[in-house]
Amino acid sequence: MIPSAMANSTETAVESLHHIKSTEPPEWLVPKQELSQAVRAASKLLFSSLKPHCPKSTFDQLLTEGFDAEQIWQQIDLQSQPLLSSLRREVKKFEKHPEEISKFKDGGVGGGEKKKVLEQIETDNVVNDDDDEDDDDMDMDEDEDDEEEEDEEGEEEEKERGTEEESENEGAEKGGIEDKFLKIKELREYLEEDEAREFGLKKKKTKAESKKEEEDTEEEGDDDEDENEGSVDDDDEAQEEEDGLGLFDGNDEEDEDDLENARYEDFFSRKKNKSSKEKAKSRDMLEEDSGSDDEQDVDKRKNGPSKHEKELDKLRSKIEEMEKANLDPKVWTMRGEVTAAQRQKNSALEVDLDFEHNVRPAPVITEEVTASLEDLIKTRISEGMFDDVQKARTSSSKAPREIKELDESKSKKGLAEVYEEEFVQKTDPASAPLTFSDELKKEASMLFKKLCLKLDALSHFHFTPKPVVEDMSIQTNVPALAMEEVAPMAVSDATMLAPEEVFSGKGDIKEEAELTKAERKRRRANKKRKFKAEAAKRMGKKARQMTTVGNNDEGREG
Amino acid sequence: MSTEAPTSMETETVASKTKLESNTLPPKPKFEPLKAHEMSDGRIQFRKVSVPPHRYSPLKKYWMDIYTPIYEQMKLDIRMNLKARKVELKTRSDTPDVSNLQKCADFVQAFMLGFDVPDAIALLRLDELYVESFEIKDVKTLRGEHLSRAIGRLSGKGGKTKFAIENATKTRIVIADTKIHILGSFANIKIARDSLCNLILGSPAGKVYSKLRQVTARLAERF
Repeated sequence: MIPSAMANSTETAVESLHHIKSTEPPEWLVPKQELSQAVRAASKLLFSSLKPHCPKSTFDQLLTEGFDAEQIWQQIDLQSQPLLSSLRREVKKFEKHPEEISKFKDGGVGGGEKKKVLEQIETDNVVNDDDDEDDDDMDMDEDEDDEEEEDEEGEEEEKERGTEEESENEGAEKGGIEDKFLKIKELREYLEEDEAREFGLKKKKTKAESKKEEEDTEEEGDDDEDENEGSVDDDDEAQEEEDGLGLFDGNDEEDEDDLENARYEDFFSRKKNKSSKEKAKSRDMLEEDSGSDDEQDVDKRKNGPSKHEKELDKLRSKIEEMEKANLDPKVWTMRGEVTAAQRQKNSALEVDLDFEHNVRPAPVITEEVTASLEDLIKTRISEGMFDDVQKARTSSSKAPREIKELDESKSKKGLAEVYEEEFVQKTDPASAPLTFSDELKKEASMLFKKLCLKLDALSHFHFTPKPVVEDMSIQTNVPALAMEEVAPMAVSDATMLAPEEVFSGKGDIKEEAELTKAERKRRRANKKRKFKAEAAKRMGKKARQMTTVGNNDEGREG
Repeated sequence: MSTEAPTSMETETVASKTKLESNTLPPKPKFEPLKAHEMSDGRIQFRKVSVPPHRYSPLKKYWMDIYTPIYEQMKLDIRMNLKARKVELKTRSDTPDVSNLQKCADFVQAFMLGFDVPDAIALLRLDELYVESFEIKDVKTLRGEHLSRAIGRLSGKGGKTKFAIENATKTRIVIADTKIHILGSFANIKIARDSLCNLILGSPAGKVYSKLRQVTARLAERF
C-alpha cells in the first residue's frame, strides 16, 4: 500500500476506533451505517497492522467493500487464529521462565527473536488456531469494546516487544486478578493457569532437581533437556533459549494438547511420576533413581502407555474376565442340584463333597477295641451272666378246657345209642354212665403220670416236679379272712378272686349315661334277642320233654 | 240178633227208667280206648316197601335184625314178597299203636335207602328223627368230573369227612351216587345238610371242619 494512503487510512481508522469507543452500548443495538463504516475502517487498520506478525496470513489487507459481515469476519479469523495461539504460548513460556522476560526486556532480543519464535511456533504446531480463533471471536464481537481494547493493547505491545507483552501479561496474570479482563476469558485463563501452574511448578521442581544433578550427563528426557538448557553459556543463550523455547513449546504444546484432550490421565500420571521422582530424590541422588526417573520420564515422553494406563489396562482386562465368567454357564458345583448326567464323568471325585451322614460311622476295630470286647466276654463267662431269653411260663393254674375233637372214624355206636346217651345226660347227668373207654383211659393216664414222676425224681439231675394242675374248684368271692376264721373279727378288702376273675371285660365299657341313642337301641335289641332265644329254648325243652315223657299217653290217646 | 235185642232193650228200659224216675242225667258211658285193630273199623292196615336191587343181598343178610324188633317190639307182621320184591308190613290185632306201622315202614325204608340197621333202629326208638334226601344237582349243577370230584369231596379220604360230619352232628349220612340221605333230628339234619352243601359248592374240608366245630361247641354249650 502507498504509505501516504496508509497514513491517511490509519488516521481515519484511529479516529473511527475512537468513535467506536465513545459510542454508548445501546446505540449498537440498532444497525447504523456510520457505525458500520467506522468499524470496517478500524478492522481494516487492525488487520493490516497485525499482518507483519502473522507469516501465514493469506490476505494482505482486509477486504471490506462489498463484503458481508460474515466474510469479513472469516478473513479476520484466518489471520488471528495462529496469532492468538502463538501469543498464548509466549505468555506461558514467560510465566514459567520469568528470567527470560527480563532478558527479552533488555531489548537484545527484539523483533528478530520474536520472529524466530513465531517461525518455530509455526513449524511446531498446528493447533494454535484454536486460541487465535477464540481471541478473534472476542474481537469481532461488536458489543465488546473491551476486547478490542485488550487486543489493541496486546497487539500494540507485540509490535514493540512481543515477549515483553507476554511477560507483562504473564506477570499481570501471575500477580492477581484484574478487573480489566472479561469473566469468560479470565476463567479460562485462570483454569489454564492453574493447570499450567501445577505442571509448571512441578516441571520447575524437576528442572531444579535436574539442575542439581549436574553430575548426570547422558540423560534423556525433559529434565535433561532442561538441564542442558539450564546450564547455559551466554553464547548459547539464543540456541538454548530457542531449544528451551522450542522444547517448552513442545512441552507447552503437549501440555495444551493434554489439557484439552486427556487432562485427567496426564494430571495423575504426571503427579504419580513426579511423586515417585520426588521420593526417589528425597532418598538418594543415585544414578539408579535418576535412571528410574528417567525411564518414567521417557515413558512420559513417549506417547505409549504410562504406568497408570498399564494398571488401568490390567483392571480392564480383569473386569472383562469377570464379566465373561459371569455370562458363561456356571461350573457344576455352583449350579445347585446336579445329577450325574449333568456333570462330567468322575467330576465328583475331584470335589471335596460334604454331606450329612445319618448313619453312625462303622467303628474302627483296633487292638484296644478287641481287647476290651474279649475282657467283657471273659467277665460274662466267669459270672455266668448271659443275656439268654427266658421262656415265659404260662401259669397253668386253670384247668385246661376240654376240646372236643372231631372223630373222623366211623362211629361204633349206632345212632340210637348216641341219642340214648344224650337223653340220659340231659335228664339225669349224675347217673350218666361214663363210657367204658374213657374210664379206663383216665385211670391209665393217672397211673402213668405217677410212675413218670417217680422215675423223673430218680433219673433227672435237676428234677423239677411238674406244676400241679388244679382241677376246677369253686371259688367264692369272699374275703380271705372269712374263709380262714370261723368268726370274722374284721372285714378285709382282700378277696379270694383276682380282679380279672371278677370281671375281665374287653373293649369299650360304657355306663348307661354314656351310651348314645343308637347304642342303647342296640343293647335293647340284643337283650330282646337273647330273651327270645332263651324263651324258644325253654319252649323247645318243654316240648321235647313233653314228647319224650308223654309218649305213651299220646300213643294211647291217638 | 238175640244178643242185640236185649241190649237195645236194656237201653230202652234204662232210658225209660231214667225218664220215669225224675229227669236225672244218665251216667257217662265209659269207653276203653280203641285198639289198633279196631281202629279203622277193625280193618288190617298194610305197608309195602319196595326193595331196590342193590339192597337185596344186604336185606337177606340182615333180615333177622330187621324182623326181630318189628315183630317183637312193634307187634307187626312183616314178610318179604319175593315175587314183587317188596317188604310187606301188616298190623296185628295186638299192635298197640297205629303209628308203629308207620315207624316200622320208615325203618324199613331207611334200610332200603342204605342206612345200617342200628342206625335205622333209632327211627323206631325216637320219634323226632327224620330222613332227608336231596340230590347234588339240587345244590349245584355239576357235570362229569366235577360231579365225581364233588362226591369225593363229600366223602373225603376213606370217608373221613362224612364220618366227621356224622360224629359232630349226631346224624347218619348215606351218599348214594348223586343222592344224599341224612338221618337225624331236625336241627342236626340242618347242620349236616349245610356242611354237605358247602362241600358240594366247593369249600375245602378244613373249612367245613372248623365250622362244624364251632357249631357243635355252640350246640353243646346250649345244654
